[in-house]
Amino acid sequence: MAATILKQGSVLIASIQAALSDRELIELRDAFAERVGRFRSRGVIVDVTALDVLDSFATRTLRDIAYTAKLRGATAVVVGIQPDVAFAMVQLGLSLDGILTALDLEEGMSLLSGIEEDRRRAR
Amino acid sequence: MSDEQQQNAAVLLAREMGLTDAAIERRQKIVGLEPADLVRIAAIRDIVLPRAEAYTDGFFGHLSSLEEARTLLSSKPLLGKARQLKAEHLAALVSGEYGSRYVLQRIQLGLLYAAARLDTRVFLGAFHHLLHDIGADIIRHSTGDADERFEQFMSLKKVAFFDIGIIVDVLVFERERVIRQQQEAIRELSTPVLQIRDRLLLLPIIGVIDTHRARLITESLLVAIRENRAKAVVMDVTGVAAIDSKVANHIMQTVSAARLMGAAVIVTGISSAVAQSLVALGIEMTKMTTVGDLQGGLEEAEQMLGLRVVSDGDALKFEAR
Repeated sequence: MAATILKQGSVLIASIQAALSDRELIELRDAFAERVGRFRSRGVIVDVTALDVLDSFATRTLRDIAYTAKLRGATAVVVGIQPDVAFAMVQLGLSLDGILTALDLEEGMSLLSGIEEDRRRAR
Repeated sequence: MSDEQQQNAAVLLAREMGLTDAAIERRQKIVGLEPADLVRIAAIRDIVLPRAEAYTDGFFGHLSSLEEARTLLSSKPLLGKARQLKAEHLAALVSGEYGSRYVLQRIQLGLLYAAARLDTRVFLGAFHHLLHDIGADIIRHSTGDADERFEQFMSLKKVAFFDIGIIVDVLVFERERVIRQQQEAIRELSTPVLQIRDRLLLLPIIGVIDTHRARLITESLLVAIRENRAKAVVMDVTGVAAIDSKVANHIMQTVSAARLMGAAVIVTGISSAVAQSLVALGIEMTKMTTVGDLQGGLEEAEQMLGLRVVSDGDALKFEAR
């Protein structure tokens, strides 16, 4: 599989290195759903820096991953969408409404730790 | 400008105007130039060629009687060059070859007229005068019956109208060049993306937003977001006079594209008139963060980034400096 899921503390990180086929995307989604529960993760990051295309199916799968993660108690962040990809997506009317986005992996991590901080303080 | 430079300019312009071989052929078809015309033109070649000098004199004589052509007539180098090109034109006019070489010569002459600020109507008047002179000689000196002579003149006129088409296009194209350059300048100047705080960008939009410009604005913003690692963008539309559904859509696309890259966009400066027209049009911009004015937007963005601007409580210090 062109995407591996890494565990970094309470966060799961999937870095997509090459264009994924529809089947690989579904595998990634299922793997995430299973591991979020297994590792009791609080955050999920999908890094798409290497992708130069995000089509409607990929966008939908990213959305599915985010919602599934949310149902299992984790916050999902999509990071590394490139300028060209972002522009193409809005032209095609694709959006990631209700899903957090960040510039890159580093930003995504700090975004998640900020959310975790807020949560702890609220408790 | 040297001859070579002028020729290069003509070649360049032909390319800009899209005057390919196919386009030239199409123009010939439009004026109805046929092989039969070439035969008739060949028959009058010997009438026109020896009188080329006189026709050139007539052409510029007519121009000299017109106040509007003073710029061309008062400049010795321009006039000399124009006379030379005109004489070449008359020789080429009856040559029977009206391909790309002929068109390039016409463009060169057109460029010269454009440089001398010769108006289309003045050129047309002089050209008509020239045709009248040639026509009179054809009727007087050509062989064949009256019908044939008329047809000979009409064949020549087809080429003449082919010429007029090119010259007028050059004159108009050159005049519009200024407009195109200004538009280009406006486009380049008016999409600055400014960093005003660490990780905070300001995007002031002024003027009319069309699809092309919206695309440029979005592209430059997205690139700037990545380069400056921006987390927030304040987009100020105070300078946008009117926002219709199309422009609103452009703005919303820019906002969502920036959001995909992890930057929050705050739109500021929507005037009451614009706000009311947006409501009247039923355009929902609810997904966007909007703040009344630029100051408010900056404050909101600073808060978002966890920044706080503190006054040191001594405004007079500024004056003392």
